[in-house]
Amino acid sequence: MNQQATSKSQEGQATTIKKTFSRETSVSVTIMADPSIVWALLTHGSDFPRWNSTVISIQGEIREGNTIELKSTLDEKRTFKLKVKEFAPEKRLVWGDAQGSRVYTLAKGAGGGVLFTMSEKIGGPLFPLFARMIPPFDEAFEKFAADLKKEAETIQRSKK
Amino acid sequence: MTTDELTSQFVSFQGELKSFLLRMTASVQDAEDILQDTYLKAHAKLDTFRGESSLKTWIFSIASNLARDLLRSRKRWPETVTDICREEALHNRQFFQEAMQIRETSPQGKFEIKEHIAFCFTCVSKSLPLEQHLALLLKEAYGFKVTEIAVILNQTDAMVKYYLHVSRAKMIEIFDRRCSLIDKQGICHQCTELNGIFNPKQKAQEELVKIEMARDAEDTSKDELFDLRMKILQELDPFESGAAELQLHHLEHNRRVMEKYLEENL
Repeated sequence: MNQQATSKSQEGQATTIKKTFSRETSVSVTIMADPSIVWALLTHGSDFPRWNSTVISIQGEIREGNTIELKSTLDEKRTFKLKVKEFAPEKRLVWGDAQGSRVYTLAKGAGGGVLFTMSEKIGGPLFPLFARMIPPFDEAFEKFAADLKKEAETIQRSKK
Repeated sequence: MTTDELTSQFVSFQGELKSFLLRMTASVQDAEDILQDTYLKAHAKLDTFRGESSLKTWIFSIASNLARDLLRSRKRWPETVTDICREEALHNRQFFQEAMQIRETSPQGKFEIKEHIAFCFTCVSKSLPLEQHLALLLKEAYGFKVTEIAVILNQTDAMVKYYLHVSRAKMIEIFDRRCSLIDKQGICHQCTELNGIFNPKQKAQEELVKIEMARDAEDTSKDELFDLRMKILQELDPFESGAAELQLHHLEHNRRVMEKYLEENL
């Protein structure tokens, strides 16, 4: 099984591990904001396009068991129908389809911040056939994490 | 605290509270009912008030909960509320007859664009999610601090900051896109249209230059324009202003149109 990491994991920098039958991209960043703010931003779908430069639209309520429709800048012509598989407030959110799952986790980070991690693993027996057609996620992941950090910290710093 | 002290303090801010409730519910009847229920509930629970917040914050908390209970089951209005209601009004001769009657006979029947701006905000802000709507009004129109709003809404400071940030951004975006007072390409000119109907001899431009928001639109940031809009809300009492009866008549029209629209369309 060949395994290849495109880069070392650093704050805000995406890492991709490629295998024959799967590909996994992840990014982590420390956000100096209350976890409730980060969670609120991640779970209010209609508000995503305002702060997240990688999302064109999200329709549907992000709640466990619901199906949402996501349009991303990665492939503007396609609408992804994704099921919300896990919804643990301020801890873990997972959505995905048959090809893969996007996992968001919130944990205690350095200096009282929130360690936000986002990863997505895609794959399956037919993965080698369509792997070339799937664009790399690294840049979009880095933008997503940077946008989330900026927006959450802006809200945290807002006046009392 | 004694009943006399409660009553005396309640009276000192009941105008603000009634105005807040009107802007939440868009209904004079609902605002008056909740105002009365708030006093009765405060009176009944007076022994539980321990002075951890000001009495005003505690009373607004009771009123907000009552408003929430009423509004939770009702659908939120679309941001295009003024377009929808304008179309209905154009086919409603009785609405204009009543409005002209108020304009000619009531001491609170003046039409001023400034008043209409506050009225318009009341309608459009009902497109916000309920918690965001409550937080935005409490902060921007009634001057409560984040920590006080957190007590009123029983939320953390962080969540209140989130509500305020998002609701403010949404309102700025909607008015920036729609309002012709701040963008000449804006699709809504209802305030100047109505000025032409109710004040035919007064040029809309003359009226607009009196309003800082419209006068400075090209040189002022979106945030500052929103603050100027909020300043109008802060300064106007929708029950006591010189345009109160005319605007409340208009609000009642829009509320009825919205109830019918939401029942039929959503």
